[in-house]
Amino acid sequence: MQEFFEIVRKILAEQLSRDESEITMESTFEELEADSIDIVEMIMALEDIYNLEFPEDDLEDYSNLGDLVKALYEYLQQVQK
Amino acid sequence: MRLAIDVMGGDYAPREIVAGALQWAEQSEDTLLLVGNEYLIKEELQLYQYPTERLEIIPASQVVEMNESPASALRKKKDASIIVATRLIQAGQADAVVSCGSTGAQLAAAIFILGRLEGIDRPPIVASIPNQAGSYSLVVDVGANVDCKATQLLQFALLGKAYASIVMQLGNPRIGLLNNGEEEGKGNSLAIEAYKLLKDQKDLNFVGNIEGRDLFADKCDVIVCDGFIGNIVLKNMEGLAALVAQACIAELGRLPAFFERFDYTRVGGAPLLGVNGVSIVCHGSSKREAVFNGIKTATECVKKDIINQQKIVLQTTV
Repeated sequence: MQEFFEIVRKILAEQLSRDESEITMESTFEELEADSIDIVEMIMALEDIYNLEFPEDDLEDYSNLGDLVKALYEYLQQVQK
Repeated sequence: MRLAIDVMGGDYAPREIVAGALQWAEQSEDTLLLVGNEYLIKEELQLYQYPTERLEIIPASQVVEMNESPASALRKKKDASIIVATRLIQAGQADAVVSCGSTGAQLAAAIFILGRLEGIDRPPIVASIPNQAGSYSLVVDVGANVDCKATQLLQFALLGKAYASIVMQLGNPRIGLLNNGEEEGKGNSLAIEAYKLLKDQKDLNFVGNIEGRDLFADKCDVIVCDGFIGNIVLKNMEGLAALVAQACIAELGRLPAFFERFDYTRVGGAPLLGVNGVSIVCHGSSKREAVFNGIKTATECVKKDIINQQKIVLQTTV
């Protein structure tokens, strides 16, 4: 999970022009000034890395980055089993 | 030219969209690709005689509704009319896309399907407003991005500069920042930060802050603001024009000729700037005349090669 989060963090840091240290599991999208376009862009970047398609959930369901990362990671684990 | 029309987007879709598209087909040599529910499109087409050899129906089974999250819709509704229409450009089957549907969905489709030009985070919509010099000023952004960062406002300025040089043949257009005061240091934190960036940007003829009352004063050629403010400005103009029109008809019995310059249906649509393809955003309330003029705008943007022209300006300034 931590390794997966590091990848997410790296993608987001580059996308949002932020220092990686500013991005934590507890960060809300509001704090990161990340809009839905940013989130979809991040998910698409992950899809390219892992060569899969994540479920098309409502992005509004996730209150912070950690919740989204957990959901994506759980799906990744299922697919890779 | 091949033009993809999102037939399912807008308050009067598909009837008025199809009607506007057919009007364009009749008076041009362009091929129109009507994207949407095949059954509904065929039903509309039965009402008219039209040049069948220059009309194609491209089926799309879904529509992005106005209340949906655009970015989520992009992932969930892969067969939505705006997605399918935008993909036609990507596939080289269309030169431009025109839509009266969800602006957010059109923006998301343009970003993820067409891609952004280098150095651009969020594509804005540009619109022209009449000014006291008898010409027009451009307003960027009029509604694509409601929450903006200062760096994005700088990007809007650069794209506005590029577009002004293309459509108004201005070598060094004057750029103003819409604000609630003229002096440097006025405004909210976004405006203050954006002012600094605009002032420091090389090769940008930044003339400072522009107040709301000076929107039409010909103080600048490009007025930069976030899409939240820009959309309110545009809709406010529409409302004010309707009020004045009502008063003119009541007192004079007719509309003065200058009113034509305020009529959005005559412009029809505005391009999304900063994306790698021509995507024309039309008013959600567009009827056939506005759709016709939106398609006309699309053909002008293709003829003027606005994508490559923007790239040239961005390469020299970013």
